[in-house]
Amino acid sequence: MRALRVLLLRLGNFLGQSRREREFQEELEAHLQMHIDDNLRAGMTEAEARREALLKLGGVEPLKESMRDRWTLAWLETWGQDLRYSLRSLRRNPGYSTTAALSIALGIGASVSIFTVADGVLLRPLPYRDPARLMMIWEANHKHVDSTQNVVSPGNYLDWRARTRTFQQIAAFRYLNSVLSDGHRAEELKKQAMTANLLPMLGVQPYRGRFFTEEEDRPGRDTVILISHRLWQSWFGGDESILGRKVMINSTPRTIIGVMPPGFYFRNRETDLWEPFGIDPARNYRQTSGRYIMVAGRLNPGVTRDQAHAEMTAIASQLEAANPGFNKNWTVNVESLRDSLVGNTRSSLLVLLGSVGLLLLVACANVANLMLARCASRRREMAVRASMGAGRWRVMRQLLTESVVLSLIGGASGILLARWLVLGLLILAPKALTGMADIRIDLRIIVFAVGLSTLSGLLFGFAPAWTATRFNLFEVMRQSGGTVSRRGSLRAWLVGAEVALSVILLTGAGLLFQSLTGLQSVSSGLNPANLLTFRVSLPAAKYKPEYRRTRFFTQALARLGQLPGVQSASAVSYLPFDGDAAGTYTAIQGRPAPRPGEELLAVIRTVMPGYFQTMGIPVQQGRDFTAADNEEKSPMRFIVNEAYAKKFLAGTPALSTSINALMDATNPYGQIVGVVGDVREGALDKPAEPTIYYPHARLNYPGMTLLLKTQSDPRTLIEPARRIVQELDPAQPIAEARTMDEVLGETLARQRFSALLLVGFSILSLLLAAVGVYGVLAYSVTERTREIGLRLALGAGPAKITAQIVAAGARFVLAGTLAGIAGALALAGLLQGLLYGVEPRDPATFAVVPAVLLAVALLAAYLPARRAGRLDPMSALRMD
Amino acid sequence: MGRKPAKSEVWQGTLALMILRTLQGLGPLHGYGVARRIEQTSGDRLVLNYGTIYPALLKLEQEGYIASEWGVSENNRKAKFYKLTAAGKRQVAREQREWQETTDIIARFFEPGGETL
Repeated sequence: MRALRVLLLRLGNFLGQSRREREFQEELEAHLQMHIDDNLRAGMTEAEARREALLKLGGVEPLKESMRDRWTLAWLETWGQDLRYSLRSLRRNPGYSTTAALSIALGIGASVSIFTVADGVLLRPLPYRDPARLMMIWEANHKHVDSTQNVVSPGNYLDWRARTRTFQQIAAFRYLNSVLSDGHRAEELKKQAMTANLLPMLGVQPYRGRFFTEEEDRPGRDTVILISHRLWQSWFGGDESILGRKVMINSTPRTIIGVMPPGFYFRNRETDLWEPFGIDPARNYRQTSGRYIMVAGRLNPGVTRDQAHAEMTAIASQLEAANPGFNKNWTVNVESLRDSLVGNTRSSLLVLLGSVGLLLLVACANVANLMLARCASRRREMAVRASMGAGRWRVMRQLLTESVVLSLIGGASGILLARWLVLGLLILAPKALTGMADIRIDLRIIVFAVGLSTLSGLLFGFAPAWTATRFNLFEVMRQSGGTVSRRGSLRAWLVGAEVALSVILLTGAGLLFQSLTGLQSVSSGLNPANLLTFRVSLPAAKYKPEYRRTRFFTQALARLGQLPGVQSASAVSYLPFDGDAAGTYTAIQGRPAPRPGEELLAVIRTVMPGYFQTMGIPVQQGRDFTAADNEEKSPMRFIVNEAYAKKFLAGTPALSTSINALMDATNPYGQIVGVVGDVREGALDKPAEPTIYYPHARLNYPGMTLLLKTQSDPRTLIEPARRIVQELDPAQPIAEARTMDEVLGETLARQRFSALLLVGFSILSLLLAAVGVYGVLAYSVTERTREIGLRLALGAGPAKITAQIVAAGARFVLAGTLAGIAGALALAGLLQGLLYGVEPRDPATFAVVPAVLLAVALLAAYLPARRAGRLDPMSALRMD
Repeated sequence: MGRKPAKSEVWQGTLALMILRTLQGLGPLHGYGVARRIEQTSGDRLVLNYGTIYPALLKLEQEGYIASEWGVSENNRKAKFYKLTAAGKRQVAREQREWQETTDIIARFFEPGGETL
């Protein structure tokens, strides 16, 4: 402790050293004065008194020296000298220092911000105990759906749970929307139903109260509910007596038994309610229902994902053999929870990380370049220092200190810059990328940034320092500053590398950008303009019998359609592009029932009349649903999309063909009354799935998304719409009001995000490369001033001089461009998954991008070259 | 920084104790006063190089045993005054104990018959 205190004091003294020395001087003077006074009083003469006092004190200078020695740490002091000298020298060359620091700041800022996002999404551990052992178990069926993340049948879940040995535990959950109400207020909230073992399996503890018991996780006993910390604060005002409180969830009383810890979430951050799943082990789920739950599990210690995957696959084939009607062609897919969350955002992030690395390299090359150029012009200064006895190491240390100081200044500004960039990223980034992640700049990231900048400072300061100090003293001193220097070659190499890296970045950006514009022009199959969407979820318990819901929606739409500015109004069970969808098997009358494993799979949507007109989906054959189709006793009628007609009805006229759906033996066949255009559901770059549309009365959903086609800004209708819904039922909230454009925007967000960032990076790297080219040539012109002056004086034309210098620059720019094209061709394959409608080796991109870069680089070369051509020969010769 | 010969180290160790005791006895004092007082206490048997007081004072201050502030001396000179801190008082007590023990042990060797034990 004491040693530390001494060290700190010494450090403190070092910083306030001049004050200290002054004080010590004063103290010694006071000492001498008092001593002299005493001596005088004792009767000595003035001279004697002084002499005696000085003698008794000993030498003042050695004393001061020993004080200084004790005050500070010697090495720190010389380092301090270096530091002060560096700062002074950087201040003297503001142009150079600013350019270099800015280069580093941009490089570090971009890397740190992207690293922060990647860290939050890919690296930071999930907030559960031992998260590496948490897995998601999906069903997978490559025959029907091109998805390895299909939801699971509860029946299969029960069998998995009974048979697995590799998993310590398996738990099930699903998402639901539900309305919380207390008589005055009502709000639609996201809810998760989960088996009782899920929360303990994650390894979290309740903030208040307790989790569900196994007993409460049974049908009929599941009347308890957990609430989020956020809901506890906002709705219940943080009431401490919350436990045991009864609330109405979907018009059914539930008891709050616990509050979740702040910030807790499992796969969906917006969840505010958790309830027991209530899976009934006695029920045969494979008889009647489809696949609709999600399953997570915790591996036994020491078990790998592959082992678990192998075991679960074996179990799945047992189940396939035991229940061929239900499980034919179905297998399982085990993936880590992290992978299931990150999914295809991983490739975007890796591409971005890669590009940011390239950008950082360009920035560093640029700084090294600037330093080299500057060191070249300081060779005489170095030589003078060396001739005065400074060792090579001492001079190098000085130069390295300077480059590290520079990169730390750049790094610090980069961190500040990154704070803004991260905020911008979070605004631009798709929710799918960042929604689950904990994204912030923390100490680790700051350490990363400081480390990175120090490293780049050392790395890119070393080469210049080495070159600058490798001189023959006599030669340098004898030179009078004007002869041709051969030391420019390293710089030319660096600029060439910069150009090459920039070509790679620019090409990638060009490809992504083209793919984005391609996507934006793909027709979604509907017209999103001026379309307001919001969800109304009627409590099933309150609206009985089912037809009352149809009546509610019919009344609501009739009144909404009367609002000024509303052209048409309708509703749909699952909004396209919003992620959710329901699918089932379908059959066509007159055709033999398909064999197990060869069923026809179609997406199911329930709509209210007028849906296709409101959404702008063209009716290609037949007609839309009418009010008559939506009566309780109407005969079953269907509308299908073009994909359904093409894929399943090929050769048969669609209209008046009878089909059924839901694979229920008693499910009636119904006539197809219309064929409508395809809507590209999942993503714009995927083909549309065969879809069957039901009228609401015949496939009754309690929750529907309402749609209003308006003449002007649809957002102005949110409040009037809410009022109309609440006139019909005062306790009925509306949820997630937004425009269809916003819904579609989310789909494009991922591509737009990557493209925008990459475009930003490439513009930066283009600028940096231009600065690099300019810097190298400008310095070479300065160095060759006398030579150029001589040639001008001997009659060389200015145009010729300019051309020669541009050509000198063009040589390494061209070489860099060619290398960059080769590199981009090699790396283009990595972009494959992110591209749509454009080949990774698109010839146009590979022609235009290098041309742009070449043009910019040549412009950067032209400026110093023109200056050279305009030199006044006389003053150039007289220089130095 | 530790470049002084071992003999001087011992001397400085004792010097530190003398300084601390002087400050404990007389209260806040400037460097010159401390040096004078030490000579007087020794009955002028110690002849001090006054300069050596200052590194010792600095060391004690860095170690937190004494604190300093500027003040005015008895004959109206601006001077730096040193005083004992709480840690300094504890240090004096500790050193006094240790010194006592050392002298006790040494004393035993000079007791009659001590050399035959």
